[in-house]
Amino acid sequence: MEDFNKYLEDIKKDKTDLFTVPEGYFDTFPTKLQEKILSERKEQNAFIRFITIAKPQLALGFMIAGFAFISITAVQFFSKHTKLPVATEVHTRIVELDASEFSEQHFIDVLLDENKKPVQEKKKNAEHYINYLVDEDIDYGTLIDEL
Amino acid sequence: MSEYSDKELLTLFKNIENRNYAFNLIVRKYQQKLYWHIRKIVIKHDDADDILQNTFIKVWKGLDGFREDSKLYTWLYRIATNESLTFLKQQKTKYLLPLVDYENQLKETLVSDHQFNGDEIQLKLQKAILSLPEKQRIVFNLKYFEEMKYEEMAEVLTTSVGALKASYHHAVKKIEKYFNED
Repeated sequence: MEDFNKYLEDIKKDKTDLFTVPEGYFDTFPTKLQEKILSERKEQNAFIRFITIAKPQLALGFMIAGFAFISITAVQFFSKHTKLPVATEVHTRIVELDASEFSEQHFIDVLLDENKKPVQEKKKNAEHYINYLVDEDIDYGTLIDEL
Repeated sequence: MSEYSDKELLTLFKNIENRNYAFNLIVRKYQQKLYWHIRKIVIKHDDADDILQNTFIKVWKGLDGFREDSKLYTWLYRIATNESLTFLKQQKTKYLLPLVDYENQLKETLVSDHQFNGDEIQLKLQKAILSLPEKQRIVFNLKYFEEMKYEEMAEVLTTSVGALKASYHHAVKKIEKYFNED
């Protein structure tokens, strides 16, 4: 390690000898930099001037945007959080769905549907009883006797 | 020009009438030192030029608020170092390159760069330095090339002197290993 440190010192060259730079670079750099700073300042000044001139218009624009934002938020909030009372909801549904589409045929259909249900159930029950009688080997005569 | 000390330059800058003149003197005094420091980190001249300009623009903007807690010289080096590190980070994210690949690219640039002036041993040393982690590389450059004191380096890199000594020691060991392997 000590030897290598010595070796590093021996091979040490001035840092400016390692890389070359374009001719006259350091002579022109300060001027180039001043120009860049000036152009940045101009841009900044132009922006500041724009802000100063357009101040009332910008203020009005922000006010309108703010008002629109508040209004939209308020509408969204109230439409989310305001629920209609239950009675009114039911009533509305009846009016919208039932009353508006009410017809004689609709009424008949509903009644038929209601009648269909027990018939199906009865059929199911009958099948169940028949299966039971067959499985238990109970004949018709025995049933008559029992009843 | 060189007879102005940093303190005198800062006093001159505080006077609004002399501001441009004082800044110009600061640029002339430090442009070369900062350029070589940056160049050894980013290798390419065009990149070093951009970073040097950005460094001095930041100096121009921040010099008003410079509180003289640290020396002007170390403050300038800190800005230049941070600008260089930010540039390297941007390059890596821009080209989606892992750390090692970007360092390899820099090594290739070094070989193909007609602006590299060193002999074969210097080239080997530069390649070895480029294989170091970024911060270790900066520590090595500041100590070896700039011959900066550890106390000043601690101000530039906001690290403790002990950590810097250890970092330099590790850097030398890695460079030695690189030389022995190659």
